[in-house]
Amino acid sequence: MTLAHTISLPAPTRAQSRAGRRRAGGRQRTGYIFVSVYLVLLLLFGVVPTLYALYLAFTKTNQPWHWAGLSNFLKTGRDYRFIPAFEHIAIYLAIWLTMLVVVVLFLALMLHGGVRRVVPAFRFVFYIPGALAGAASVVVWAFMLEPELSPWHFALSSIFHFAGFQSVILPQHLPPVFAVIAFWTGAGGWIVVMNGALNNISDEVIDSARIDGANALQLALRVKLPLIKKWVVYMLILAFATGTQLIVEPTLLEPASFGTISSYWSPNQLAYWFATQMDNFNYAAAISVDLLFVGLVAAGLLVFRSKFFELD
Amino acid sequence: MKEQSSRPSRRTWAGAVASGLAICTAMGLGTGVSAASPHANASSKPIVVWVDSARLAMVHAWQQANPSVKLDVVTFDGGSGGDGSIQSMVGLDNRTGHGWPDIVFSENANDVQSLGQAPFNFPATLNNGLVSNAILNNFTAGVNDPCMIGKKLECLRNDLGFDVLWVNVPLMKQFGYTIPTTWQQWQAIGEDVAKHHPGYIIGEQGVPWDEDIYLQPAQCHLNDVVAPFVVESNPKDPNCTNMTKLLDPLLKDGSVPIANDFGSTFAKQYGGKVLLTVGPAYDSRAIFEGPGSALNSPKGTYEAAAPLKWAGAKQTWTGNVGGGLWILSSHSSQLAAAAKVMVGLATSTVSQDQSQGYPGYAPAAKSWIAIQDKSGLFARPLAPVFAAAAPLIWPDWSQTPWNVFSLWGQNVVPNLVSGSTVTSQLSVMATAIANSAQNYGYQVKG
Repeated sequence: MTLAHTISLPAPTRAQSRAGRRRAGGRQRTGYIFVSVYLVLLLLFGVVPTLYALYLAFTKTNQPWHWAGLSNFLKTGRDYRFIPAFEHIAIYLAIWLTMLVVVVLFLALMLHGGVRRVVPAFRFVFYIPGALAGAASVVVWAFMLEPELSPWHFALSSIFHFAGFQSVILPQHLPPVFAVIAFWTGAGGWIVVMNGALNNISDEVIDSARIDGANALQLALRVKLPLIKKWVVYMLILAFATGTQLIVEPTLLEPASFGTISSYWSPNQLAYWFATQMDNFNYAAAISVDLLFVGLVAAGLLVFRSKFFELD
Repeated sequence: MKEQSSRPSRRTWAGAVASGLAICTAMGLGTGVSAASPHANASSKPIVVWVDSARLAMVHAWQQANPSVKLDVVTFDGGSGGDGSIQSMVGLDNRTGHGWPDIVFSENANDVQSLGQAPFNFPATLNNGLVSNAILNNFTAGVNDPCMIGKKLECLRNDLGFDVLWVNVPLMKQFGYTIPTTWQQWQAIGEDVAKHHPGYIIGEQGVPWDEDIYLQPAQCHLNDVVAPFVVESNPKDPNCTNMTKLLDPLLKDGSVPIANDFGSTFAKQYGGKVLLTVGPAYDSRAIFEGPGSALNSPKGTYEAAAPLKWAGAKQTWTGNVGGGLWILSSHSSQLAAAAKVMVGLATSTVSQDQSQGYPGYAPAAKSWIAIQDKSGLFARPLAPVFAAAAPLIWPDWSQTPWNVFSLWGQNVVPNLVSGSTVTSQLSVMATAIANSAQNYGYQVKG
């Protein structure tokens, strides 16, 4: 572990802030200018909407500044679709996050340990699916999952014995189906990020491990993995947040399924339903705040357990 | 109040931009903006019409016949499959206090039931003189029932989706069957087909509109609004169970399999194998005959036969799958003019001749069906069968703020696909209806 302390971890914000502290004057100002663009966007599209959602969640339906206490949370919580939606998301997250961590790390470590010449090509190939815009890639999947049209007709019909699209998208299949879609669209980007993190490990560290007799597997698991642990936590925090907010996949597959996928499959869809079909933004905000709470708790646990913000 | 007072300023601003653009155009900077028609009233705003792509041909035909009326046609998904897009957009417009269309077309026969009540309160009432009784009386009886909120008429029905029996004439002859007139005869054919001609089908199930094909003609009281805000939903009603028990063996033996004739693979799987099917009138050109239809069968393959009757019953009833609505916005700043346009779209033959479904307006229906029959695509004229079937839609399968299609699709279809019987799903559906009904403040009677 002493080795780790000699390496500056590639966490960009911290590096910036440390650099900012050390260097005074003009440099600092330049830093603020760079950060300000993000800060403005964060305020406009992150902080202000969150505060607005909190305000809506604790006020009465369409009655500004009439405090509702917890009633919006209780009413939405007792809705017959609330528990199932969270159950769906929990199963989905369990599958997706496991897949993400295991496969992304496996491929990134393979890539890093592999022949240097082919690394850029593979990195590019892994990234391609992620370059497709989210909605478009879901539409691609609508075709991939229809046994009659899919290029994987053989697998769907002969291995899984699906009779048609409807049997592919049965409710019990949806969490793995959405996990596969999310993985396919998102994992490539993370492989590239992990590859970048691995490239930051200095050659001396790897060479000395080799001299000490570490084989490729030991090198990957005992040396490289601990050094990029914080990046894995970072990936998990972001993936958990986006995963709980799942909406595009079920919403786009619903019309393709001729309406056999529930319109309230995920909590975000339920919130959307309250906002658009009942014109009740307060209920929608309450569910959004539920999701925010779940995301914050998960992020908090990961941060504290991994000592994410501790300086080396 | 706040919203109202802010409106003129926005208009002034928009007006300034518009005049700026007009100046640019006049100076030759514009990019091919055509001069307004000489008949157009320059001071009037265009009437904003939202339609789905399937209705564009109707609007274009009407616009061509009425070039002096300025229309601003916006295409959207028509609320397809009960996705609630009209509710979302109207909800946002209600919040901002502007942006409503003058006329909107909905693909969902039940949409006015939610749009016509709080919190949306969107449609204008039509039967208080805005549309003359002479016109309203010409609609086929009962057609505008989905438009009624209490005693107020809040939309005009575009088309009907009443079910008939579709018959593959050469195949029936080849197999030696006679056209069934009762559900029981139809079932007997199904069982015989399964034995002697496996792979051929006499219908389909496992689609969101199953209940309109089978439960509604059976007079099943599963979604019957018996009083304002009271719905009767009885899964043990013998009318319901008799029909599902008739269907169960056919699902099992494959003569009425899980299939979707609007699905992308239907023709590949069942092309040339649809012996009979119970389906809406608009299946004629959508599924069976003519270019662009799913099966695109050789001319004269299919014909329509009268809706099936329950053996021993006095009266034949049929189901209805969809049928769109024309809704006029109560917020329209030119209500009378917009009402005229909407009546034109819903009733004129120039528009309705382009309709995909059987027009709800009886005189337009006559013209529409004559065109269908003139094509000579069907083995026998559709006109007499359609005219007799249109008034037979069972009225007690109610249009409600919740979309019964969606409920059947999301709660029942996956179970049918997994191998459940239809009979076992009546209670599942009743629970789904009860949950939704309570959401909208309805009381549920068993």
